[in-house]
Amino acid sequence: MQAALRLDGVTKRYGEFEAVRDLSFQAEAGRICGFLGPNGAGKTSTLRMILGLVAPTAGRISVLGADDGRKVRAKIGFLPEERGLYRRMTPIGAIAFLAGLKGVPGGEARRRAKNLLEAHGLGHAMNRQIRALSKGMAQKVQLLSALAHEPDLVILDEPFSGLDPVNQQELETMIRALTTRGATVLFSTHVMQHAERLCDQVVLIAGGRKVFDGAVEAARAAAPRRLILEGALDPAQVAALPGLAELTSERLEDGALRVSAVLAPGVPAQDALRAAFAKGLDITRFELKEPQLHDAFIVLTGGEIGA
Amino acid sequence: MSRLLRIAGREYAAYVRTFGFWLSICLMPVGVIAAIGAPLMMERGAPVINVALIDLTGQAYAPRLAPVLSQPGAGGRRVVQVVAAPLSGADPAALAAAARPYLTGDQTLAGGAKLDAVVILHPDGQGVAADVWSRNPADHAVEGRVGDDLADLMRHDRLVRAGVDPAALSAIDAVAPKVIGYSPKAQGGRIGAREFVQTFVGFGMGALLWMVVLTGAGILLNSVIEEKSSRILEVLLSSASVPEIMGGKILGVAAVTATVLGVWLSIGALVLARLQPQMFSLLIQVLLSKGLLIYFGVYFIGGYLMYATLFTTIGAFCETTREAQTLLGPIMILLSIPMVFMGQAMLHPDAPILQILSWIPPFTPFLMAARAASGPPWWQVIGTGLLMALMTGLELLVAGRAFRAGALSTARFEPKRLLASLFGSEE
Repeated sequence: MQAALRLDGVTKRYGEFEAVRDLSFQAEAGRICGFLGPNGAGKTSTLRMILGLVAPTAGRISVLGADDGRKVRAKIGFLPEERGLYRRMTPIGAIAFLAGLKGVPGGEARRRAKNLLEAHGLGHAMNRQIRALSKGMAQKVQLLSALAHEPDLVILDEPFSGLDPVNQQELETMIRALTTRGATVLFSTHVMQHAERLCDQVVLIAGGRKVFDGAVEAARAAAPRRLILEGALDPAQVAALPGLAELTSERLEDGALRVSAVLAPGVPAQDALRAAFAKGLDITRFELKEPQLHDAFIVLTGGEIGA
Repeated sequence: MSRLLRIAGREYAAYVRTFGFWLSICLMPVGVIAAIGAPLMMERGAPVINVALIDLTGQAYAPRLAPVLSQPGAGGRRVVQVVAAPLSGADPAALAAAARPYLTGDQTLAGGAKLDAVVILHPDGQGVAADVWSRNPADHAVEGRVGDDLADLMRHDRLVRAGVDPAALSAIDAVAPKVIGYSPKAQGGRIGAREFVQTFVGFGMGALLWMVVLTGAGILLNSVIEEKSSRILEVLLSSASVPEIMGGKILGVAAVTATVLGVWLSIGALVLARLQPQMFSLLIQVLLSKGLLIYFGVYFIGGYLMYATLFTTIGAFCETTREAQTLLGPIMILLSIPMVFMGQAMLHPDAPILQILSWIPPFTPFLMAARAASGPPWWQVIGTGLLMALMTGLELLVAGRAFRAGALSTARFEPKRLLASLFGSEE
């Protein structure tokens, strides 16, 4: 599959500060790529370099076949992290204006703006001034303005921030819909649940460096599986079960003990369960917790989450 | 190019749709009419000055002075009415004390009229002195007229006493030379109304340019600050190049100011053509002669581009107008310099200081526009114009980089960061 976006050894320095260090990855066409990292990891700097807003200090970037994002800006849709629109413009006017800047003729831009607004439940507000809209509605207008020119590459910087759960769900649907018409989506976030649900590929960066690049499943595998056991347990007996390590325990209100342990890679959970029954352990709960992207993120970024 | 025009169109529409735009369109002519008409109305509506003359000279100055004082003069002279003095005596100090209640309003003349001034004429050495007591200490109209008219009478008396025949004296008074002004720069050599208009056209062009450039640059500054603070600039930067964004905004605001200016000038021209058709025709002749309109166009473009680029770049670094104030203060001081010297340009367009200042690009558009009507040397016109173009080009070149750095920055505005971006040490 052809890469819509390729970064090769990209570095960005601001004076003495190195925001991005030797970053390489590629995003395949028609796929959703999550660009993950804690705050200050270098995500926004990278996105700005991809867009051609700032030049890399070193390395090469290829965007939709061009060596500079500015050369293909009409094919890129961009939603910045900090959002804003002309407060006195109407949604239809704002979307049509920004689509016009991307090369869509005036009449066609207005038609698309109208259709998009109606399709996303904003038809009734299309001629109101944006300052009269709710924050969620205004954010949706801005997202639509990034999509009205039907871009081949959509770059969304923290698109879910500030949205309520209903609008977050709707945004997920919109992002999925983009790939059905062949667009590539690159979005940055530090909220792993969205990436987990949406992404075909995730790129994790921390401290300006890439720490992971691959499928969500592969990222999850970087974090350990955990076993949860509850009952009238003796921690020493649990520790003797095959494949368990790093045990932690806590006493529950009913007097039972809850033990949490890391399950060694490659060891089936059934082995531990079988051994527990064989030893006659009084178990009321036995649960295998597969790692989430969030866990992988913490492991891979060295615990920098939430910085 | 189409992106630039779209940005310009949005900028233009954004301002034209505001209430403030239409208010400024309508209020300016009203303001001009008020500024011209108010003093005239005040002058015409000013009450008659009631003056009492008390003559202690024994030389009958009061009866001769009264008709002269009462003559309606030209040039907006206030109407003076000499009334019968309500008091009498021989001591100036006692008369002054007696006049006080009339002047403070405690007493009125017969019929209830107020007395505005009391003039006490008394001997002073070989001449005559006049003590003028007025109700309003700020109004020197009576003082001035008594001084002038009394001096004429005193000179007349002296000459008659010296043996000059009064008839000959009247004839001598009527003698006046016929003075005609000529200048090689005047049309046909003779200085006339055309040259008078020309002098003021130069000043008017410079002042108008100053006002228009500053208004446009101010609009741009606020527009960019609004876009920066509401995070629209980053979206624009991902959709258009920096020259397209800056060019579009500058062009859009230029169209706004040109619209306002066009409406104001059209209204002004209509009013002038209706009230003073000869003056209007003369004004048009002056504007069309010597390429004054071309001068105005060139200096408008140069001056506007120079200041609009500067203000747009400053705006990209500021989230609030308060932040912008730190730089606007010094710039406004700089901009007040040509205003001070533009008045001088009317009378002394070739003064050395004006010639020197004309070579400083930030002042060139205003001072050269003000001097244009006097026909400055061609080498100065070309030289200062080239320097202005060079400065504007250089500014446009470095402003793009600074604008991008400012637009993407989220840090608080610091002048040193602006300077660093101008010289390429910060992105």
